[in-house]
Formats: sequence, C-alpha cells, structure tokens
Amino acid sequence: MKNRLRVLRAEREWSQADLAERLEVSRQSVNAIETGKFDPSLPLAFKLARLFETTIEAIFTDEN
Amino acid sequence: MLCLMKSPAVRRYVMRMWIMAALCILFAVVTALAFRLYHPHGVLAYLVAILPALPIIGALVYTGVYLAEEKDEFQRNLLVQSLLGGTGGILAVITAWGYMEDFAHAPHMDLIWVYALFWGFASVSYCVVWARYK
Repeated sequence: MKNRLRVLRAEREWSQADLAERLEVSRQSVNAIETGKFDPSLPLAFKLARLFETTIEAIFTDEN
Repeated sequence: MLCLMKSPAVRRYVMRMWIMAALCILFAVVTALAFRLYHPHGVLAYLVAILPALPIIGALVYTGVYLAEEKDEFQRNLLVQSLLGGTGGILAVITAWGYMEDFAHAPHMDLIWVYALFWGFASVSYCVVWARYK
C-alpha cells in the first residue's frame, strides 16, 4: 500500500525516530510502514491520521 | 534475536528468559545429582526427570505473554513469522530424521535437542524475515 508518510513527516521535520516515539512503536516499524513493506492495522492507521490531523485516506492509497 | 528492540515488553521478556535459562541450568544440575545420589524410581523418577523441562515450558509460555504484551504490531509480526519458521523448520527436521532412523538406520537423535534446534531455526527465520523488511 502506498502512503504519504515520508512527505507528512518531512513537512513537520520529524525523523523516523521522532514519529516512532509519538506512535509508541519502534523506528523499524515506521520504516517498514513508510516503505510500503508493512501495512499497519486499522488502529495504528487511525493513530497516524490523528497525529497528522488528517484522514486515513489522505495518508494511504490502495494500489488496486 | 530481540536485542535490537527496546520496548518495555522486550525488556521484561529478556529478563524472564534469563531467569528461565538460569532455572533450567539449576534444575538440570539438581536432576543429575538426584539421580546420581538417590537413584529415584517409578513416579518419582518421572517427576524429578521432568524438572529441567519446566523452565523450558515456562519460556514458551513467556513468549506467548510477550506477544500479548508487545504493543508494536510490526515487532509482533516479526516474532510470529520467526516462530512459524522455527516450528516449521524443527517439524521438517525431526520428521525427516525419524524416517531416516527407521529406514536408513541413521543415528538416534536425542529429543532433548529439539528445543534448542527450534530456537536455532527461529533465529535464522528472524534474520530472513528482518532482511525482507529492511
């Protein structure tokens, strides 16, 4: 699944470690989600949306 | 395997695993001494012999507890995939070895090695899974 995490993170000048700390997950988790290798669960997707004050659809795009 | 993770759940898990490992060594020594000095037999022999296995069973239970406690779903996913790799690997090896013992007279494999082999396969599996997400 494609996502705009890297862009959203860059807009706030957050490192992967900063975002990981805010999400209470490991930096490896953020990297895996950001590179599209791991799709987050719905609760984590909602957490991301709340953190970036946007919607899940604005962050993630279904490739199909 | 979990040395790169720093969550509180990992720290608790590592501490519990060290305690189980220490208990396993202690119980193995106690069992060996008990059989050497007191020669237990019957039901008592079974009970004494099973002592070193109890911390091993405890370690497996604590692995389940860790999976329940870990809030990071990606790390949980990594460990679950590794454990599946470990389970599949050890099942494949002992099944193949069983047939080799039956038909090709391969040397007998002591079942005491199964647990260590399981974690060996799980560790290799963890590296493979980790490399895939890197």
